[in-house]
Amino acid sequence: MSVPKSDLLQGTLDLIILRTLALGPMHGWGISLRIQQISEDVLRVNQGSLYPALHRLEQQGWIQAEWGVSENNRQARFYSLTKKGRRQLEDETANWTRFAGAVARILEQA
Amino acid sequence: MIFRRLRSLVRKEQMERQLDTELQFHIDMQTNENVRRGMSREDARRAAIRSFGSVDQVKDGVRDTWLVRMVETILQDVRYGARTLRKNPGFTLVIVLTMALGIGANTAIFSVVNGVLLKPLPYERGDELVIVRQPQTRTDVQDIGFSPKEMDDYRVQGSTLAGLVEFHSMWFILLGRPEPERVQTGVVSANFFDVLGVKPILGRRFRSEDEKHGAPAVLILSYPYWQRSFGGDANVVGQTFRMNDRPHTVVGVLPPIPQFPAEMDVYMPTTACPFRSNPRAIENRQFRLMSAFARTKSGVTPEQAAADLNVVSNRLQKAYPDAYPAANGFGITVSALREELTQDFRPTLVVLLATAGFVLLIVCASVANLLVARLVRRSRELAVRSALGAGRVRLLRQLLTESTMLAAAGGAVGLLLAVFGLDLLVTFAERFTARAAEITIDTRVLLFTLVMSIVTGVVFGAIPALSERQDVLTTLRDGGSRATSGRHAVRATLVVAQIAISFMLLVGAGLMLRSLLNLQRVNPGFTVDNVLTMRIDLNFSKYQTVATRAGVIQRLLERLEAEPGVVSAAASASFPLNDDGGGFSGTFQIEGKPVPEGQPQPRAALNLASPDYFKTIGIPLLRGRLFTKQDHVESPRVVIVTERLARTYWKDEDPINRRITFNNGQQWATIVGVVGDARTVLTEEAEATMYGPILQTGQLSTTWLLRTTVDQPAMERQVRAALREVDAEQPVDRFRTLEQVRGAALAPPRLTTTLVGIFATLALTITAIGIGGVIAFSVSERVQEFGVRMALGAQRGEVLGMVLRQGLTLVAIGLVIGIAGALALTRLMSRLLFAIEPTDAATFIAVSAVLAIVALLACFLPARRAASVDPLVALRAA
Repeated sequence: MSVPKSDLLQGTLDLIILRTLALGPMHGWGISLRIQQISEDVLRVNQGSLYPALHRLEQQGWIQAEWGVSENNRQARFYSLTKKGRRQLEDETANWTRFAGAVARILEQA
Repeated sequence: MIFRRLRSLVRKEQMERQLDTELQFHIDMQTNENVRRGMSREDARRAAIRSFGSVDQVKDGVRDTWLVRMVETILQDVRYGARTLRKNPGFTLVIVLTMALGIGANTAIFSVVNGVLLKPLPYERGDELVIVRQPQTRTDVQDIGFSPKEMDDYRVQGSTLAGLVEFHSMWFILLGRPEPERVQTGVVSANFFDVLGVKPILGRRFRSEDEKHGAPAVLILSYPYWQRSFGGDANVVGQTFRMNDRPHTVVGVLPPIPQFPAEMDVYMPTTACPFRSNPRAIENRQFRLMSAFARTKSGVTPEQAAADLNVVSNRLQKAYPDAYPAANGFGITVSALREELTQDFRPTLVVLLATAGFVLLIVCASVANLLVARLVRRSRELAVRSALGAGRVRLLRQLLTESTMLAAAGGAVGLLLAVFGLDLLVTFAERFTARAAEITIDTRVLLFTLVMSIVTGVVFGAIPALSERQDVLTTLRDGGSRATSGRHAVRATLVVAQIAISFMLLVGAGLMLRSLLNLQRVNPGFTVDNVLTMRIDLNFSKYQTVATRAGVIQRLLERLEAEPGVVSAAASASFPLNDDGGGFSGTFQIEGKPVPEGQPQPRAALNLASPDYFKTIGIPLLRGRLFTKQDHVESPRVVIVTERLARTYWKDEDPINRRITFNNGQQWATIVGVVGDARTVLTEEAEATMYGPILQTGQLSTTWLLRTTVDQPAMERQVRAALREVDAEQPVDRFRTLEQVRGAALAPPRLTTTLVGIFATLALTITAIGIGGVIAFSVSERVQEFGVRMALGAQRGEVLGMVLRQGLTLVAIGLVIGIAGALALTRLMSRLLFAIEPTDAATFIAVSAVLAIVALLACFLPARRAASVDPLVALRAA
């Protein structure tokens, strides 16, 4: 099952990106690949959402970008979590867990 | 974060490039991945691009985040700024009004500069238009004019001109209106308006057929005359009026343009002017009646044109030595029309522009000072924001946003002030230049105001913001109450600058004021009270001989003398301070005193006077006698000279009964009297003048003077009625009292002085508030110190003195800088000053004293507060 772009809420995409970057600095291609792999191909991220999201998060100061050299020796833009971003990730993760838990309980009891 | 945002503004291009690289990398990696899965290189690439989707769409998405972020931050700053400013309505109001004064003053003055100096002339390719003059270099006459013969010669032989046209002005009487109208008439070449590049708004220009001998007479009306006399009636074209005993048909109406050298009512071709078309005038090389205007060929400078025409002039001088007496020195000068139109206004504009600029500087300094002061009160808030993660640049931008908002509001209010003041300014400028009507608030002025507002906002916002060097920890620890010494230095510097600039403005105003007082004290040589003047131009086709002219003048004099309320009546060719033309001058010879070969002839300003002229205007008789009714057309020629003329040509001898001639001895006139000098122009010494008896010489253009005991409107009615009895077809106008004439001569310096004075007073007030503010602030900083000092035995007087000394130190430094600046700058206004040096010591000393006293008063309030500190309270507060 693939989730269409519109269904992936902006907040959710942000959370997923932050979580992915918590593993270490990564370029845009790497991020999209990693999301695909970890979600076992359930989530496929549209580039039209990914890159604006990356720049937005950068401007909010949650992630920062640096030019570096990729595994195949190419110039690539590497994103990494900032201190602020890490804090944001913790908050958002807690929120998400609470939210997901609440939804799950409702679904179970209904 | 701010840096990234700033980067997104400044380095947009680089960011675009980086985005390209980033996305290309993604596609390349996907391609590699596809190849690894076994696709051919080409298919892999195509698949990668397909799966990526629209690159442009992705880019747009990213760019949106840049833009949204930018707008968001600005809005946030503005919202925050508006909240802060609303919280302090008094503070905001003071700053906005101060800014409004500064920006309004500059907008207004700039709109004048723009309308008068910067806009192109409203003629086609106006920069090519020049005025050509024929000066007599050795007699100091700037322009003796051109004769028809000379016009032809320069037109044919000059090689740098695309067109050369003539102009002279005459008064004629236009009949066929409800009242006979005296119209000032420009007599011009048929191609005058073609060369000037002016298209009539109604009808047509003159054509060469109009200038043929015997062609029907035609007229073109000026816009103001058409509006004034015909109410803008479009049917005027084709109507016929009687002038000079001939029918004249209106063929066109001019657009509203500045007219040079003077406003005309109507224009006619040379052949319609009875004087200019006279065959004897056309043949006479010395019939130099006309002014010359020209359009240079494109790319030719006035200097090049002058060089070219001087070659022609030298040729003519050799060919016709009789017409060009070498003793007088002949030549040609050429100057740009654009410069000439505004020449008289330029020195005043420079001074006003400098004044307005200085006021703006003071306003900026004062507002910056207020902002620094407020920053101190806000330092707690800023420190907290800073501790919460707002960077220094972010805070700086917040402060700049606020100051720009203040400046923008100030600019808007200032613009309103300028709009309301515009009519006044136009009236003001009209006294200096024909281009005054072109003064408007146009796009260029609006742009100027906008740029000025933004620049001042950034400047006075940056000063306090940059002075904000303290680090967060100090502020939080001190509870935000203590300012750094660096900030105090900034405020002190601003106050010193304000004092220095105020000093310069006050000196400027002081010099102008003293110059004006000097002007008002000038004794013009006659009495201005209770004299009504008017102008009557006799119809020359009706009064063709000297005898008939003298006769009608005599009849009207007698008629007016009999009017109740008339103490005495006089007729003349002109009168002192008259700015309405009529003044002329001529060379003469003295019996028994031949001029050595090669020396210029004696020259005198000429006037004509009826017997009671001197009594009416109050010019005293010094020796001999005045004119009487016995000095008539049939009697021996007589003249009266002024004291200056007597001294110039007879030194200590008595000129009475000496004889002079104006026409090489064909006719001699005996000097019968010497009268006092009277100034033609208030700022210049009286010219050597010679008066002839108007009842002997006759005269067409006459000015009349009535010493009366009746008020002006009633007298005007009496005069019109009397004139109707003498000649019902004779118009009379230009009713003015001598007091009004003198007032008109004084008006330009008075207006300029008032403007500069208002600006200077404004500056002084703002500066006094500034000094007071700084001292008060430093007192509040040092309350504890004063408490300690007083606890240790310092007297109140000592504390008071300490604070006052602090203030006076600032004043002293400011004064020194101000004096140096004033010494350097007041030279610029020397052309506006009368009988006073631009470095007048008395003015400098007086202004220093005024400034020092005002500053002292401004310091006194806070000083008294310092002296009344209760040591107990102060120490406990610590």
